[in-house]
Amino acid sequence: MGPNGSGKTTLASILASVKSPTSGKIEIFGKKPEAAKKITGYVPQENFSSPLLTGRENLMYFAGLLGYSKNEAFDIVDELLKKVGLREDANKRVSQYSGGMRKRLEVATILFPGLKLLILDEPTTGLDPSARRKFLGLVQELRNEETTILLITHIGADADLASRVGLIDRGVIIAEDPPEKLKRNSGLENVVNIETSIKSDKVASLLTNFSEKMKIMETETGYRVFTENVEKATPNIVRSLDEIGCKATRIETTKPSLEDVFFKLTERKVSEVD
Amino acid sequence: MLFWTIGWPIIWVLIGSFSFTGDASAEIVAYTRGAISISMMVFGLMTAGMANLPGNIAQDRERGLLTKVMSMPINPWRDFTGRILALFAFSVMSAILVIAVGFACGARFFFTTIDFTTSLAFILLIFVASAGIGMLIGTFVKHVHGAIMSGVGLTVVSAALSGVMTPYAYLPSVLQNFARIYPISSANSAITYLLVGIKYAGYNPLSVSQTVLTLFLALSLFIFGLIAYSRFCWKKE
Repeated sequence: MGPNGSGKTTLASILASVKSPTSGKIEIFGKKPEAAKKITGYVPQENFSSPLLTGRENLMYFAGLLGYSKNEAFDIVDELLKKVGLREDANKRVSQYSGGMRKRLEVATILFPGLKLLILDEPTTGLDPSARRKFLGLVQELRNEETTILLITHIGADADLASRVGLIDRGVIIAEDPPEKLKRNSGLENVVNIETSIKSDKVASLLTNFSEKMKIMETETGYRVFTENVEKATPNIVRSLDEIGCKATRIETTKPSLEDVFFKLTERKVSEVD
Repeated sequence: MLFWTIGWPIIWVLIGSFSFTGDASAEIVAYTRGAISISMMVFGLMTAGMANLPGNIAQDRERGLLTKVMSMPINPWRDFTGRILALFAFSVMSAILVIAVGFACGARFFFTTIDFTTSLAFILLIFVASAGIGMLIGTFVKHVHGAIMSGVGLTVVSAALSGVMTPYAYLPSVLQNFARIYPISSANSAITYLLVGIKYAGYNPLSVSQTVLTLFLALSLFIFGLIAYSRFCWKKE
């Protein structure tokens, strides 16, 4: 997990043997990426399936590339379509698929037998909330099989599904642990999430006063204030905002998210574009 | 692309068949229509190789398919063979359709079995040269529209300047020289020579030196295209 431009896709491309590293060494189950192609499946960010073919035809094409005979491929493809929940729509053209269905079809291309490492590069980007939830459900199901899944994302809630999360910033893994441990070790206790009617430097500066370590984070709709004493800070925040003519339209206390942890470690937002 | 590869040549066969024959005798009209049909078949083959192929390569690159395929345990030759076979099937279909329409419009050909077989070999050379140019365009022009338009532009301009779309005899001498060294044009002249006669070809494209030159340049274009494609399209960044 990391912001745009942090090197997530570059890392995925090197693991998938699409790019060469400028330095360093990578081993996948003891093999170099080029030699590990047979056990590595990669779903790039782009929608690579052909919209002119049906879901089944797309998978048959990839089965053919992998050297399966038509008969062998038919049964395996049928199984894969069932696994990703597209059996009913297998004979529809991909142009008729929703974004989520298309992504699930593309994930099916890395579920052929024998693959041990599955790399998904920002698979939920552009999906609506319901499609995203359904897609993550599929990832959860795949987790239970004997494969390693490397899910690349900038969304904390997606990363929360993982057994281990690596936070990457400017090409460097700055932390790597199970999500709960990352949150625990961050030292962040509580977060006051405020939606405000105004967003300005004045509001941000005011809110900084309520964080012991002067830490706040700007969100799309307001701010997140990191504070140890939520009970004391919350009413004071509302009052102070009122005094400067800014309304808190929604206020809630939450546990820190992985985005918060990233922010704490880097002082930068995950959604920030370099 | 179907329009440029099949529709456009057929339109020109129709226009050419009924517009440019004047008061000539029925025999000359029939062979002129034959020559026009051959030229337009060649134009279709050029468009397929020089615009369709790079368009497909660029499209696969743009939508991530090339990245996906590169991540799979696949030999680049397999990808290349697939592309060429698909292009070949499409080119054959285009050639048959254009000649069939020409025939229906009154085009006639005069040939022996050997002439016909030799013509097929020259058609293959046109296919090979066009595919070579197409691979070069597809390798270096990254965007779909850019690749297609570069291919179509190069096809139209080179066909016009090299005598594929205009009679060789009416070309200025500098372009006549170009027509002889541009393997697609010289192969077109060879087919015309074999199937409708020297009068319509403008010169003897079947001399040993000209045939060797055509063969050498067509294969060279294909090999250059192949090297560029395998080195740069499949090359890891």
